[in-house]
Amino acid sequence: MKVSSRVSPAAPDADVIARVLAGDADAFGVLIQRYEPGLLRFATRMLGSVDAGADAVAEGLVRAYRHLASCREPGRFRTWVYRIVANRCKSHLARRSAGDVSLEDVPAMPDPEDGEAALERAERLAQVSQALSRLSPEKREAFVLKHIEGMSYEEIAAATGARIPTLKMRVHRAREALLEALKEHA
Amino acid sequence: MDPRLHRVLDGELDRDQLPADLRAELERLERATALLAAAPAAGSVAARVLAAVHRPHRALAARVGQWLYERHAVTLKLRPIWSLALAAALALIAVLAGRGTGPAVLAAGEGIAQFVGRFPGAHSVEVVGSFNDWRSGSLPLTDDDQDGVWNAEVVLPAGEHQYMFVVDGEKWVVDPLAGRYVDDGFGRQNALMIVRPVVR
Amino acid sequence: MKVATLLFVVAAGPIGLAAQSVRGRLQGRVPESAIAAVDSLVRAAEMESLPSDPLVKKALEGGAKGVSADRIVLAVRQTAGQLHDARALLRRGQAGEPSADEIASVAAALGRGVPTPLGERMASALPGEPMGPALHAVADLVGHGFAQDSAVDLVVTAGQKGMRGLRLLDVASAAVAELQRGRTHAQAIADVRGGLPDVPSAPPAAPGVLNRLRRPPQGVRSPS
Repeated sequence: MKVSSRVSPAAPDADVIARVLAGDADAFGVLIQRYEPGLLRFATRMLGSVDAGADAVAEGLVRAYRHLASCREPGRFRTWVYRIVANRCKSHLARRSAGDVSLEDVPAMPDPEDGEAALERAERLAQVSQALSRLSPEKREAFVLKHIEGMSYEEIAAATGARIPTLKMRVHRAREALLEALKEHA
Repeated sequence: MDPRLHRVLDGELDRDQLPADLRAELERLERATALLAAAPAAGSVAARVLAAVHRPHRALAARVGQWLYERHAVTLKLRPIWSLALAAALALIAVLAGRGTGPAVLAAGEGIAQFVGRFPGAHSVEVVGSFNDWRSGSLPLTDDDQDGVWNAEVVLPAGEHQYMFVVDGEKWVVDPLAGRYVDDGFGRQNALMIVRPVVR
Repeated sequence: MKVATLLFVVAAGPIGLAAQSVRGRLQGRVPESAIAAVDSLVRAAEMESLPSDPLVKKALEGGAKGVSADRIVLAVRQTAGQLHDARALLRRGQAGEPSADEIASVAAALGRGVPTPLGERMASALPGEPMGPALHAVADLVGHGFAQDSAVDLVVTAGQKGMRGLRLLDVASAAVAELQRGRTHAQAIADVRGGLPDVPSAPPAAPGVLNRLRRPPQGVRSPS
């Protein structure tokens, strides 16, 4: 990926955004590199599909580029771009049955050095993924942002528009549902 | 689930204060989230995003305006399975300019709807409604002088039409100047426009 | 001015859009789990000879707004109910079967909060008058704070003085204009009643720039 040579990969988001808005489109590559892994992880867990997740992230990043000038707090670009991708995920979900998250193409992460452990790990991932897929999209989103993307409740509120007490309730219910699912397969 | 577990996970309580059985539950949950946190084997989308970013993107109104000025002849064979997506790519407008004077020729039973909204700072505004099957991307408003006032004039069948504005592709806004509103059945309101037929 | 001409030539074949199934229109735009229920409601409406396009559009609206399947189905069901009530009202006031457009127009007016008994009163007072514009005129007035009875009386009086169809909307606009000039509701009603049938017509929407006129995508049905 060609990235602007005029922007340091360590530059703060606000500086990179200023660069992009000044006309250096390639500088946007710095932001893509920085946030793509987390966004892909988030969208894949939301949609249960690697391909669908990639589509949602690509659409969201293009939209973020086009509307970059409307990012009112460049220092909070992370929550802003997660919000855009979360909305893309909701659009994708609206086109399917509610809660119908496909598990088929979310592969486990086998450890090539240890066959038996890899199999066990893959099984456990399938169980956990299935439990995640049974959550409502709102609970799934809150849980993934909290425990997989490591956001604070304030950041999740900025990314989703929901109130913190509502988010806490969603995360708590999601944890309970996951623990229950893990107990069933213990 | 024991509330102390939630408090630990929310950073409100130290994990050392949990009894052994709860600590085991905590670890079980943490192992599960660690599995989910492993990034899936997805290829990077960077190339396709940057390709889209570098593609020249003129404002939709400019593209539509350019298209309107060019002559296009399109011959289509209709099939029963012809999708609305294809239909949405084509529009029939017949404009006769009598030496610069005279109105556009509208079919019987058609009128002109004028949509106006003030959205300073917006990057795009479009109108979606019953007249375009609530489909985005077909009826943009324009703000040529960039004063924050967006407008469009649309030929519509005479009668009632429900609609909303969509700002920046995401924010649905009821037209505050509509004067007529109707519950949309989804907890919000649509604006209602009554288009009068142009009198010949 | 340069003439921009777009030619659209249809070569043979049945009208694809008219033949496009309900499911085809909904696929990909409405949650999958709502499609069967909406299709069923549409078929039921068609069997009762009610216009079905407003139901499909309501489902598409819900899909576009990101609403859940359950709420979409509920809204479509409610719309079907409004169409049913509208047709019943129209049948009471006129001989002959009302058209789909009339049913949809009255349903839209009822959807603005005009109570059915008021509609029936108007239908009795103005037999043979298209009820859609008359009811919308009443809704316009009530929306600006005029009492329902006063609104109905004014519109009925206008109709009895020969004002018809969309001109009744001008009656409502005139009363609202009086209100905006500082008159009270009662004064506004009296002023307009006193001037009937000489009420200014709404200015026609003149296209500002001809080549900016747009049309929605081809295949738009009659108003919902």
